[in-house]
Amino acid sequence: MEAFLSGFISLGDPKLLLILLAATLGGVVIGALPGLNATNGAALLLPFTLSMEAIPAIASLVALYCSATFAGAITAILINTPGTPASATTCLDGYPLAQRGEAGRALGLAVVSSTIGGVLSVICLMLAAPLLARMAYQFSPPEYFALTLFGLSMLASIGEGSPPKNLISGAFGVFLALVGVDMLTSVERFTFGSHNLYDGIGFVPVMIGIFGISELIVQASSLDKKRERVSMKAVQLPNRDDYRKVWKTILRSSGIGTFIGILPAEGATVASMIGYNEAKRWSKTPEQFGNGAIEGIAGSEAANNAATGGAMVPTLALGIPGSATAAVILAGLMVHGIRPGPSMFTEQANFAYTIFWSMMLVNLMFLLVGLTGAKIFARITLIPTQVLWPCVFMISIVGAYALDQSMFDVWIVLISGIIGFFMRRYGFSVVPLAIGLILGEMLEQRLGQSMVMLDEKWWLMFTRPLSLLFFCLTIAALLGPVLWTKYLVRLFK
Amino acid sequence: MPPILKRGIQPSDFPQLILILILILTVAMIWFDPIIVDERLDSKTLGSIVLLAVFGGLTFIDLFLSLGVTAALLAIFWTERRWYVVLGIGLMMPALIFLLFDQVFEIRFPRGVLTNLWYG
Repeated sequence: MEAFLSGFISLGDPKLLLILLAATLGGVVIGALPGLNATNGAALLLPFTLSMEAIPAIASLVALYCSATFAGAITAILINTPGTPASATTCLDGYPLAQRGEAGRALGLAVVSSTIGGVLSVICLMLAAPLLARMAYQFSPPEYFALTLFGLSMLASIGEGSPPKNLISGAFGVFLALVGVDMLTSVERFTFGSHNLYDGIGFVPVMIGIFGISELIVQASSLDKKRERVSMKAVQLPNRDDYRKVWKTILRSSGIGTFIGILPAEGATVASMIGYNEAKRWSKTPEQFGNGAIEGIAGSEAANNAATGGAMVPTLALGIPGSATAAVILAGLMVHGIRPGPSMFTEQANFAYTIFWSMMLVNLMFLLVGLTGAKIFARITLIPTQVLWPCVFMISIVGAYALDQSMFDVWIVLISGIIGFFMRRYGFSVVPLAIGLILGEMLEQRLGQSMVMLDEKWWLMFTRPLSLLFFCLTIAALLGPVLWTKYLVRLFK
Repeated sequence: MPPILKRGIQPSDFPQLILILILILTVAMIWFDPIIVDERLDSKTLGSIVLLAVFGGLTFIDLFLSLGVTAALLAIFWTERRWYVVLGIGLMMPALIFLLFDQVFEIRFPRGVLTNLWYG
């Protein structure tokens, strides 16, 4: 309780408030720009946070995460191009509504739904994360190993790519995490005699490369796309009739989004798809979906923003990223010397609660920013690609260099960017690679500790109830995508 | 290696396990979802990758010179024709980024043709 209150009081720090406001505004700009999203935005912001203390650094990353997830709706509604993948379903009804001259109403509804979804998920985060952490205190290495394996198996069902390709990408990430000196035995692995690889491959340059530079190359092929913005007078708050029509949808989607977010590796995109479909399924007028139904906007937006709070639950309580952006935030925590997990809620409880309260505040901040500034942000959406991306390129490179002031990191950015592009081209998602890279070291450590603990009798792991449960969930996660795809196909029919 | 470290998994065990897993998954991929190369890279994409390689080569002369040249070339290659915009991307942006990181974040960049002018 003390940490809960002191976390709230920490928000009174004017410096932290200023950083949160700047990150929120930056996040809205990033989310509004097609091609840039919360994940590559967070990867770009990460080097800038190095000179900060841990609390403002991580608070700014989560602020960007929440606000960029919301801002994807601006482009989805005004130019029919989702600013972030999570807003793809917002296009379906947001743009038709904007074309009918109700862009302000559509944006107002998106802002309010996003805020409610975000706030409810943060409340859930505040309650669930410490409980989960308390439960995780009983975990020993075999349980942690099984849990990490479960987290990695969830990569199979990530939005893009087929399950085998996603798992190959994740395994490749785990493999990259093994490069460097083995901490226990000091044996060099895959360093090829290069001292630059002695400490392993840094995950921040890899993330800047696979999320930032690979997107730059992808953008090269979409230069011919013409974007036309629907005109808008001002953002309108929903009226009483609108609220009456959508309150159930918002609450339902908030629950769906939070739950999907909590599942390791599943993020806002899946949440918004399910939120939208459930809104349609429960609607009295499903035939209006796709033609400007306000429940469609509310269902999609409440779910994708609720997923941000949900995704932070496993990230902070267990050290397993709940989404791609959460993986970047996890990298930020590690760079600042903070090891997420159960101990965070006892040893660094003030830190954890300050982050929770920051997320809460950011959700309220973008309500204000969205309502007052959406018209300005809408103009930003038309920054030409040929101007935007060369600037992103420069910031990516200098940001990666600034991490360790090493040109080797610049090379990693370039190489991982090109690898990331070809992976995406051939149907491999880069998100599993990022998550595998972060979890790889932990996975090996836990396996090693388990083997020592169980006297090399690995099969004893299956006799422990909790680890057996996680192994069963792993199998379910691996088989799940087949059933999942069938379910989604049926829903979209 | 001391006997105590010979217990448990060895440094080579886990990477081997992962490589075997990748191999199995590759076979599964070939079976269920093979890679299909249906179209060649378009000229803009290929040119952008080449520009990234050019950037890599130029960094040996100067990081910021390389950044400015590559960014300006990228903008031109991506059909930007307004000279003042290209100038802004190639000159103003690298200078601003350099000053931001040098003065605010106190980052020391590698010496090169241009950075030597600043560092002396």
